Amino acid sequence: MLKPKHILFPLVMIMLFAFPVVRPPLFFLTLCFSVFMFVGLSESWNLLGGYTGYVSLGHIAFFSTGAYTTAVFMNRFGISPFITAILGGVFSAVLAALVGYPVLRLKGAYFTISSLLLAVVMQLIFMNWDFVGSSTGLWYKLLPVSIEVNRILFYEAMLIVATAITLVVRYVERSKFGAGLVAIREDEDVAKTMGINTPWLKMKAFILGAFLAGVVGGIYGYYMSYVHPEVTFSMNTSLLILLMSFFGGCRSWSGPLLGAVVLSLANQLIVTFIGAEISRILYGLLLVVVIIFMPDGVMQYAKGLFVREKR
Amino acid sequence: MLEGIKVTRRFGGLMALTNLDFTVEQGQIVGLIGPNGSGKTTLFNVITGFYPADSGKIIFKGKEITRCKPYEIARLGIARTFQIVRPLLGLSALDNVTTAVLYGREQIAGMAKGRERAAELLAYVRLDDKKDVPAQRLVAAERKRLELARALALKPEFLLLDEVFSGLNDTEIQDAIKLIFRIRDDLGVTIFLIEHVMKAVMGTCEKIFVIQYGVKLAEGKPEEVSRDPAVIEAYLGKKRTC
Amino acid sequence: MSLSYIIESIISGLLLGGIYALLSVGFGLTWGTMKVLNISHAVFAVLGAFVSYWLFVKAGLDPLLSLPLLAALLFLVGAVLYRLVIRPVQKARDVIMASMVATFGVAIVVENLMSFIWRPDPRILKPPYAGSSIFIGEMAISQGPLIGFIMAITSIALLYLFLHHTYIGKGVQATWQNPTGAALVGINPGTVSLITFALSIASAGVAGVAMAMIYAFYPSVQSVWTMFVFLVTIVGGVGSVIGTGLAGLLIGFIIGLCAAFLPFVWVNVLLFALLLAILLFKPEGLFGT
Repeated sequence: MLKPKHILFPLVMIMLFAFPVVRPPLFFLTLCFSVFMFVGLSESWNLLGGYTGYVSLGHIAFFSTGAYTTAVFMNRFGISPFITAILGGVFSAVLAALVGYPVLRLKGAYFTISSLLLAVVMQLIFMNWDFVGSSTGLWYKLLPVSIEVNRILFYEAMLIVATAITLVVRYVERSKFGAGLVAIREDEDVAKTMGINTPWLKMKAFILGAFLAGVVGGIYGYYMSYVHPEVTFSMNTSLLILLMSFFGGCRSWSGPLLGAVVLSLANQLIVTFIGAEISRILYGLLLVVVIIFMPDGVMQYAKGLFVREKR
Repeated sequence: MLEGIKVTRRFGGLMALTNLDFTVEQGQIVGLIGPNGSGKTTLFNVITGFYPADSGKIIFKGKEITRCKPYEIARLGIARTFQIVRPLLGLSALDNVTTAVLYGREQIAGMAKGRERAAELLAYVRLDDKKDVPAQRLVAAERKRLELARALALKPEFLLLDEVFSGLNDTEIQDAIKLIFRIRDDLGVTIFLIEHVMKAVMGTCEKIFVIQYGVKLAEGKPEEVSRDPAVIEAYLGKKRTC
Repeated sequence: MSLSYIIESIISGLLLGGIYALLSVGFGLTWGTMKVLNISHAVFAVLGAFVSYWLFVKAGLDPLLSLPLLAALLFLVGAVLYRLVIRPVQKARDVIMASMVATFGVAIVVENLMSFIWRPDPRILKPPYAGSSIFIGEMAISQGPLIGFIMAITSIALLYLFLHHTYIGKGVQATWQNPTGAALVGINPGTVSLITFALSIASAGVAGVAMAMIYAFYPSVQSVWTMFVFLVTIVGGVGSVIGTGLAGLLIGFIIGLCAAFLPFVWVNVLLFALLLAILLFKPEGLFGT
């Protein structure tokens, strides 16, 4: 049976893919690009943060690893950015595998703090590591095509990546893997008695999330054509990722998608037209309000308003 | 089928279990009783790998499981329920059991098949009319049945029940006793249960272990144990002889 | 490198450590006792620094004289924050996580409000006496850190005395050990939470003034200070005033010792690596119970 969503979804996708054809001003292209980026980041964050409830503030560490991998491999070895983006994902995954074993043994706040520390320590190291440009950052060598074509190329790349990530997360959510992750969130001990190898499952979610964030980072870095530790490791990005997932509702793949689209659009608009400080103040307030009044996210909250509870 | 040899567990300086020996034969229903704080739940946690034993051995079907992790022990076929039931509160009754089925020993692949099997299990514990209700909104007796269904979803050979009768009224206890016999007889599951409700223990168990301060006080048939002077003393205090 | 240089470095590290201890003590208290993990703790230290600086520059009020006023003001801010944010969050299923996320939002709000009001440029609080030094033999000890340290130790001591030797303080302790029992004997848990939280914010404000006498401060420095709060609290063990104090001094000692041999940034990398290691191997803290 053909439902509206079977037409709507491909239609939206075609429109998004075709968007650069109308030669939009750079502002709109970048606006869409940042929406796709945040969709990719908050969906990949949600694998661990939303389903298992292990709230990570270190997701930007993987994102930045991706951005820096692309920068270094392109500049030093002249490798194509499409390969380095994947490579960035692989490096992020390796990093996640290395830190994951000890860090994922920690629970609750201890996990969150160590994930935050991971990002902070990496930022400090990158600020002082000359190979990656230390505190001056790194410029990317652009591909030998016009800057406009470059932008469009990476707009499309980010769109594909964001779509792929969303589909992967949606698939995970509906699989045995996803059911296991949710059991961990609800009660990790009980999950063990069900025969779930909880450390391994958390590890898989962590590594997969890191890989996806690394790929996003690679493409982001190239689009921006510049990386700097203070920009890529910004705590503000962590805040936004967290807020988007919580705002939309982190129990389902649709939550981070909704949150990322609505909030990154709003964020860009407020930053551009009103000011970055005001936008952050509004975001901070929004996070507080969401946590207090809508702990399951706006989607669930709206459902609760409109749908009467079944008896 | 399950054997413990000199099982010992300490918490800091406190001896929770001391050189405890026990055996449970295949097909039996065995009870574990003792006053509060005597180490019953600790023993279950040691068997299921949550608190590894400090010394001693636990052998299941001829294989040592003392150092196994909780999920490994579950996969070997030992299921358990918790004293204070712990359903996955955010999920529906059906989803609770479905997850357990998917990760269980029946090797059921695919969500649809998993749900089907889970629905059967809920029907088995007579909870099929509540399958779409969030676990959070089930009452205590229903939560206990849900927990049982979840344990059965593993397709266990051995089931550890921690106070499944407590808080139930008389009819509910009778139902629960029948259910336990059915689990043993239909599904061939060996059962080891902790119980406070004496009537239920006497009515179901073929053998009873009594422990106090982590030490075995008595073991035997229910009627023997209930006549044992050491047991009476532990439960009722010393009989005054004058 | 002379021995006196190393000793000087260690002493200034210890002075700094005392201030870090005060910066962290309230954070550990609310985490340990109320299960509220207040990520916005350090932002109120920065707020304290700004208010003190503003009073000093605009009204000519010496930071030491304005300290009681500042503590009272931040106590009030803490009480309001408790009513608006913390109390609703305490109803959540997982209070620690909910409070962490909510106060993360609060931190961002306050930080950006400060940059909005006072501009994000770095400043330093320099009353005339903070610039000079005391000389002991060859060693110079700057008065700024020394005064900050004395402020910190006095405040920690006052907090300790309050918790252990006053009626309300004992009520606070009783509630956190056994909320039902305390409620039964007539202690209102809401009031106790409010006092604990407001005191914690006030102590952060005082610590902020002490920090401002040593370091340049600006709104976004709060994230750096937050890291030090985590560091001290986790090393000391959550919820112990004495443990936090000792941890602060220990960290100060390490900073002082390392700073004599390493560039400053690598000292920080080393410290956070140490923190990660403690989290992983001894999450209850070195001085925890």
